[in-house]
Amino acid sequence: MKKKRMLALLVTLVMAVGLLVGCGAPKEEQDVGGGDTPDESGGAEAVTIWYYWETEGHQVALDKVIKDYNASQDKYEVTAKYVPFADFKKQLSIGASADELPDVAILDSPDHAAYVEMGIFEDLTGKFDVSNYYEGTVNSCTVDGKLYGVPFGANCLALYYNEDMLKAAECEVPSTWDELKTVAKALTKDNVTGLALCSVQNEEGTFNFTPWLWSTGATSYDIDNENGIRALTFIQDLVNEGVMSKECINWTQGDVMNQFISGNVAMMENGPWQIPTMQAEAPELNWKVTLLPKDSEYASVLGGENYAVIKGGNVEGALDFLTYSTSEAQVKYLMDKFGYISADKTIAEGQFEADSPYQPFVEELNYAMPRGPLADWPSVSDAISLAFNKVITGNATPEEAAAEAQATIDGIIK
Amino acid sequence: MVKRKKIFRYDNVGILFVLPAFLYMLVFVGYPIARNIILSFQDVDAGNLVRGAKNFVLFENYIGLFQDGVFRTSLLNTLCYTVLCLFFQFVIGFALALFFNQRFSFAKPIRGLLLIPWMIPITVTALMFRLLFATDIGVLNYILRSLHLIQENVEWLTTPGTALFALVFANVWIGIPFNMILISTGLTTIPKELYESASMDGANKAKTFWHITLPLLRPTIESVLILGFIYTFKVYDLVYVMTGGGPVNSTHMLSTYSYKLSFEMFKYSKGSAVANVLLVILLIVGVFYIRVTTKEEE
Repeated sequence: MKKKRMLALLVTLVMAVGLLVGCGAPKEEQDVGGGDTPDESGGAEAVTIWYYWETEGHQVALDKVIKDYNASQDKYEVTAKYVPFADFKKQLSIGASADELPDVAILDSPDHAAYVEMGIFEDLTGKFDVSNYYEGTVNSCTVDGKLYGVPFGANCLALYYNEDMLKAAECEVPSTWDELKTVAKALTKDNVTGLALCSVQNEEGTFNFTPWLWSTGATSYDIDNENGIRALTFIQDLVNEGVMSKECINWTQGDVMNQFISGNVAMMENGPWQIPTMQAEAPELNWKVTLLPKDSEYASVLGGENYAVIKGGNVEGALDFLTYSTSEAQVKYLMDKFGYISADKTIAEGQFEADSPYQPFVEELNYAMPRGPLADWPSVSDAISLAFNKVITGNATPEEAAAEAQATIDGIIK
Repeated sequence: MVKRKKIFRYDNVGILFVLPAFLYMLVFVGYPIARNIILSFQDVDAGNLVRGAKNFVLFENYIGLFQDGVFRTSLLNTLCYTVLCLFFQFVIGFALALFFNQRFSFAKPIRGLLLIPWMIPITVTALMFRLLFATDIGVLNYILRSLHLIQENVEWLTTPGTALFALVFANVWIGIPFNMILISTGLTTIPKELYESASMDGANKAKTFWHITLPLLRPTIESVLILGFIYTFKVYDLVYVMTGGGPVNSTHMLSTYSYKLSFEMFKYSKGSAVANVLLVILLIVGVFYIRVTTKEEE
């Protein structure tokens, strides 16, 4: 009897533990870390990189740069590993506590500060010349005046519009919120909604909402005021008046782009990385890009990734590779294949032809601000995304949502 | 010689057989649980995961949880979700098992085909239901509108109340075959003679069901319900893909909220506290199960 009891208890434990494994035990796929163990084949030292780009074009481009680098010298052998975006933070966290990290991580810029606080990144102050980079990109990897990373590339959000639809409705390209609302209303008919922006309740949604918030003059940390409430009210009105679908709360930026190229959406907020896909999938579609319409000032949000060098790994090798990959020729190649804009101003300004669809993003970059940098940014971001999700679903008034978000944020930033 | 004999006595050999499994459990089950429990009593976040002092804060994380609205919602959600899923899966699964227990042509192949929902990867099922329940392009709204049951499209996944319903619906669809197959297997163990003699004594269908089928199926039913409870209670992938815990945190389960705290917001200690609440509830169910089964054997 007792044995059976034990057995059943163990079975229950095994089933329950599936959930806990993620929190505690290291998984086998992470065993690529380590670093300075010599490679068996040529005696070259291994340098490992983690990244999260799922687009095939991105992976191929990074692969080519790595191959060229490996061929150019024989001291280091660089290998890269893809970790899905949804798992990236988890893997880095587990890797940090289990001491199984790569030598270089290419990570989302708003998360940079949190990992700096964890103490897993090498101080790179004075090792790279970033004086010519866009200020926002450098700020995203700077903590307490010290440089803990190198910007990989920059992107920001702007407004895409379907030119044919605008012409058919005899509308001008909107440049203010009022114009945007009027145009969106005119474009909404049958199966078409005027505007779409990704509003999922996570960092991706926050990324898409902050330009509207900042355009009013509100900051990420100061929402419960006239400005913050105006931004929330604007989004709520768009949804209530039917010119923006409520389903935006379930649409990722990729989903929004798909709705746009299928002709279900006339205008969308999105980033330049969608352009290669859009050109390939919908070559017939007539679209253009313009600055995001403004309330009181133009605003956009800075996105992109930073390189970071992991402390205790193969630092020398990592630095050597980064010096190579941030050189002008490599940056140009990568940015071109990625649909990104170089974080280096000089390269960015000569990167595109005047009539290129990317050019508006270069202009928008002047208005783009980074999120954070703040170690607790994920919590602030959560409060912001909860606020706009509440007003979109009609769960709270803009005033209530703003007050609630403010209370949470005040609790984080003491 | 004498000593040797003692070591290899029957009972001791049994212990040796159990030892590898026990060691495996200790390392891969015991250790994570122990670490997780310790973690939940500390104040670990992004700042001191790698370096810096990890302070013990006793029950602060747990007290904080019960003051946290999202945690209370996710606890309630998990319970509601589990009870509703279990009820519908079991009733429909039982009915189907009885139906396919009749002898008619193709009964067995069709019963086999019904297993398909159970075999499809949950991520795929979740994506499929996300599309079915979509407001403007969803098939469900299209059907309901065509039947004139609704005038306006229902916003299934973007309204807090209906989103949980959609999750329950999807999981019931997944779980019916599991219940059906286990109960079908249980039904085959009931001797046919019992039904024959009952019908000779003049018992009708309902009576044979209540007095023969149900009592004899009791052990099967108990296992199905307990296993179902554990599987359902720790749901993660379905919710993560279908709603991601939204809209406005209304469909978070203990598992998804634990993940969000730990790996999206870097609140490792709070996240593990949520995971431990889940573990404790499952352990209570497990102990209850053991009591029920041992009582039966006595």
